[in-house]
Order: sequence, then C-alpha cells, then structure tokens
Amino acid sequence: MKDKDQRKRSASTIQRSKRLLSLGMVLSLMASLFAGCSSSADQAEASGGTAPQGDVTLVIGAYSVVKDSVQDIIPLFQKKWKEETGQTVTFQESYEASGTQARAIVGGFEADVALLSLEGDIDKLTKAELVNKDWKDKPDGGMITTSVAVIGTRERNPLGIRSFADLAKPGVKVLYPNPKTSGGAQWDINAIYGAGLKESEREEGKKDPAFAKAFLESVHANIESLDKSGRASMAAFEYGVGDALVTYENELVARIKKGAKYEVVVPDDTILIENPAAVVDRNVDKHGTREVAEAFLDFLWSQQAQEVFAENGFRPTNPEVYAKFEKDYPVPSGLFDIEYLGGWGEVRDTLYSKRGIWYQVLAGI
Amino acid sequence: MQTSWLRHKGWTYGFRTTVLLYFVVLIVLPITGVYVYAFSEGWTPFWESISDPIAWKAVLLTLKLALIATVINVLIGTMIAWVLVRYRFVGRTILNSLVDLPFALPTAVGGLMILLLLGPNSWIGGLAERLGFDIVFHQPAIVIAMVFVTFPFVIRAIQPLLEEMDGSAEEASYTLGASRSTTFFKVILPQITPGIAGGAMLAFSRALAEFGAVVLVAGNIPAKTLTASVFIYGEVESDNNLGAAAVSVLLLTLSLLILWIINRVQRRGRRE
Repeated sequence: MKDKDQRKRSASTIQRSKRLLSLGMVLSLMASLFAGCSSSADQAEASGGTAPQGDVTLVIGAYSVVKDSVQDIIPLFQKKWKEETGQTVTFQESYEASGTQARAIVGGFEADVALLSLEGDIDKLTKAELVNKDWKDKPDGGMITTSVAVIGTRERNPLGIRSFADLAKPGVKVLYPNPKTSGGAQWDINAIYGAGLKESEREEGKKDPAFAKAFLESVHANIESLDKSGRASMAAFEYGVGDALVTYENELVARIKKGAKYEVVVPDDTILIENPAAVVDRNVDKHGTREVAEAFLDFLWSQQAQEVFAENGFRPTNPEVYAKFEKDYPVPSGLFDIEYLGGWGEVRDTLYSKRGIWYQVLAGI
Repeated sequence: MQTSWLRHKGWTYGFRTTVLLYFVVLIVLPITGVYVYAFSEGWTPFWESISDPIAWKAVLLTLKLALIATVINVLIGTMIAWVLVRYRFVGRTILNSLVDLPFALPTAVGGLMILLLLGPNSWIGGLAERLGFDIVFHQPAIVIAMVFVTFPFVIRAIQPLLEEMDGSAEEASYTLGASRSTTFFKVILPQITPGIAGGAMLAFSRALAEFGAVVLVAGNIPAKTLTASVFIYGEVESDNNLGAAAVSVLLLTLSLLILWIINRVQRRGRRE
C-alpha cells in the first residue's frame, strides 16, 4: 500500500516536473535573453566605476499580488547593496499565481528568492528539497506581510453587509475564487469556515466542525461565480457582477487606491493572512548568490520595505511600521490565525483533501 | 547526374517518414500519453474520478451546452453561408473575411468582450436583468461563448458545396413548378447536408473543449456552470493530475468518435 502510494507520487511528480521543465526552460530562456540585454548596460556602468567584485543577478519568483510592492522595494535594496558592497544587483522577476509559481520553481525555474502567498506553497519547495526546513527561523516565522480576509461591497454598502453570516442572507450575490484553482483562495474559504467555528463556539461552547460546514454551505448557496483566481473574482466584480466579494484586504485596498469605489468590510471574525518568503537554498548555492539573497530577504523586514508593503495595502509585520499605519489597519475583535483551524496540515487534510469538506460543499453532499 | 540524384527513391521515403514522425510526435504521442496516464493506476481510480458527481455533471453540462451551441451554429451558419454565396452586395468580401476572425482571436479576448457587452453594466445585460434572467455567469453566456468560438466551422464547410453546386438541378426544379421551399428542402439541402454535418461535428467537438472564453464568462459552479474543461483545469491546479486525465479521456473519446463519424459521413457524401 505504502509502496503503491510512493509510486503514485513519484509518477505524478515525474509527469509534473516534465511539464514544468519545459515551462522552466522557456522561462529560463527568456530570463537569459533578458540578462543578455541588461548585462551589457551594467558592464558599461561597471567599467567606469568602483571596481566591484563582479556584479550579481538575483532571480525573484513571486506571487502576482505582491508585484507592485516588490518593484518598489528593489531600487531601495539595489541602492543599499551598492553602498555597502559596491556591487550592482540586477533583478529578474517572475510573477505568477502562488501555486503556479511554486510548481514552476519545483519544475526547474531557478529562483533565488521565493515570495509566495501561503505557507503551503513554500512547503512544496521544502518537500522538493529546494528550501531548507529552517526557513521559519527568520523573523515572524518567515512571514513578511500579513493581511486579513475581508468582504468588498459596492459603494456605501447598500446591503448593509457586516459579517460573513450576512453573505448567507437571501438575494446576496457573492463572489470568491475556487481554492481548487487558486491556492490563495484557501485563505478566503478558511476565513468563512473559521467564522463558522467561532459562531459555534459562541452558541455551543465548543468548536463544531459540522456547524462550520453548514455555515460555509449557507454562504456558498449564494455564490454567483466561483472564479479561477482572486484576480478573476476582482475583474468580475468590476464588471458589475455580484454584491459582495471575499478577498484579501490588500487586494481591495490596492484597487480602491486606484480609484475604484468599493467599501472594505472587515468582519469581526476573520482570519489573519500570512505571506511567507524564503531563500531557495539549492538555487542560491548553485548560483553562488547566497549572501545577496539572504540580504534581500532580510531587507524585506526592514523599516523601508515594510513601509512600502504598508502603502500597498499589506499589514506590516514590523511592529514600529505597524504602529505608524495602525489607523488604516484596525485589528478585528475576533481575529484568528491558521492555528485556530489546527494549522495548515490539518486544514489540508480536512478541508481541501480529495473528499474533504470543501469538496462536499461543492458537490452539495 | 544531379536530376537522377534528386529522383532517388530515398527522398520519397524520407519525406514520408518525416511527415509520419511529425504526426506521431505532435498528435499521437500526447494523446496516447493522456490515455496511458489516465489508466496508469488501473481501472478503479479511473472509475472513481469519472464517477465523481462534480466530474460527470460537468461533462454532461458541457455536452448539453455544446449541443445547443452547435444547433445555433447550424441554423445561423447555413443562412450566412447561403447569403455569402448567393447574394452580391456591397461589403460581401469583407464580411466573408470577417467570418474567420474568431479563430484568430485569443478566446479569452472573446470572453472578455462577452463580459463587456452583456455584463450587468451593459444595456443588454441591464435589460435582461430587468426582464428577470441572467446572461453572464450563467448558462446562456457559456452557449454564447461556444457559438462565438466555433462560428466559422459550419459556414466554411458549406460554402464550397454551395459554390460548386450545379445550377441545372435547381433550375429544373423551378421549371417543373416546385416552390422555393420545396426546391430548397428537396434539391439544395440534400447536396449541402454532408457539409452541414461535417461542420457541425467539428464545431461540436471544438465547443466541448473550449476553455479560454468559457472560464471568464461562466460562474464555474459545479452542476450549474462548471464545464469539463474548467473542471480539468481545476484538477491540474490542485495537483490531481489523474482526475484531470480521466475526464480528458472521456472528452477525447467522445471527440474521436465524432471525428470518425464525420469522416464516414463525408465519405458517403462524396460517393453519392
């Protein structure tokens, strides 16, 4: 039995890695073309300058939502690194949905630093022995930003939605992405399920998974569209579909900053979203970029970088920076984290396994 | 001499081998791969994947909607082909070239246009909403997306038949006093039926597999608006490759059957 399991896993990894290898090849081809273009410019700069001990290139594999922040942080880091070491750091960046990015890295995309939307995706990298198991020893358990799951409504919140329970009211059209197609959407479903657990605690005095499942079902009964990704949900909402969408606070804040007229409803009971980053150990050792990669990762916790995150809608993990932005990011009274649901392992086994709770809700069993 | 060297038998063999190899590498290998992979762990896991209610309901829904889209395309496509061949009017050639555009457009763009034009903020979508039915994110939008994507098939299959049609049979029919409708149904229609059938089946199998446009305009809710292609995508994304392969096999087998039937129908049409 175990043997069979093993074989199954290895067969599917081979299949997957084959597919991703080709993707990785295309990506790295593009990356090398890109590098070819930029390195000549760097050389010109270097020849006139301070005689650095060779310039260095850092490959970033990140999830798409964090793109704006990373692109603001990179120049800050380049400046700092140049001042400290005289080296010029060139960046190659790739932005994909978190799960896709994780699979691309496993399949051969040689990222030095990975920024992903959930721990489970970094776990894919540790499982492939790309990232060492000690990645959580960094500050805040390896998490660079946090956010909360929120509800976005139309201007002035015409339906008076205050909590996830309000989404179950008759006639409310709800949007959220499908965690089957978007790993990041697991946060949204975790939030609704967890809010159900909280409710059961208040009513019955203990966490009741059956109650939470029924709660999730009642919200799901109002689903208008189960989109491919968080971005697709947002797009549908922008085209006028639905009354409310469940998404990350930072997604919604970023939209509103660009002029969209939505309301951010932070429910009292909601989940703390934590986004990890890690150095991809095997790749930095191969490229000889460990020093600069570690420095970049540490820089993500610096005051400067954390402020950039905060301005882009994330809740900073750095307490000083958080204090500065506190009024923008009030802490909801019933905030819980993934441990409240038993941790990622438990969530993967009960909610998102093959015939797990999410499947049952989808299939209406 | 050079010419005899060029005429060497090896060239023919080489050419044939290249073509065959090309065919095997590009078409046979990947498709066989899907079949082999789907059954790599035996019949039971395959059956489990297929008998999952979400899976088979997605396949059934796709079959139903693709069938509706095909019927619409047969009716509209026949009319359009008729107009393009039989009538002469300003802009006919431009219209004729426009027919193929859905093939040139990424289907996701087609989906986006449907969202823009029929979404709740557009006047058509607004009107439909006031009349009490939904288009976008419900089944009608999926059918519209499928019709859009498979639009050229029927037209392009009928056009050459209409153009080559011998006018004498039609004239004889009129001379013998048959009405226009009788002439159409008894004389013209039988001659273009193989084209209609071939075009319709191509359109049908293409509609079965449509993803890019559908994923944008469908709500993707199991048993209501989740089509097979989107279901397969979901399985791949959640690392259940076996489930994806199993449903793919179901779709592939259906498409293979359909293509084989087209071939039969067309061959019979030619013989007649």
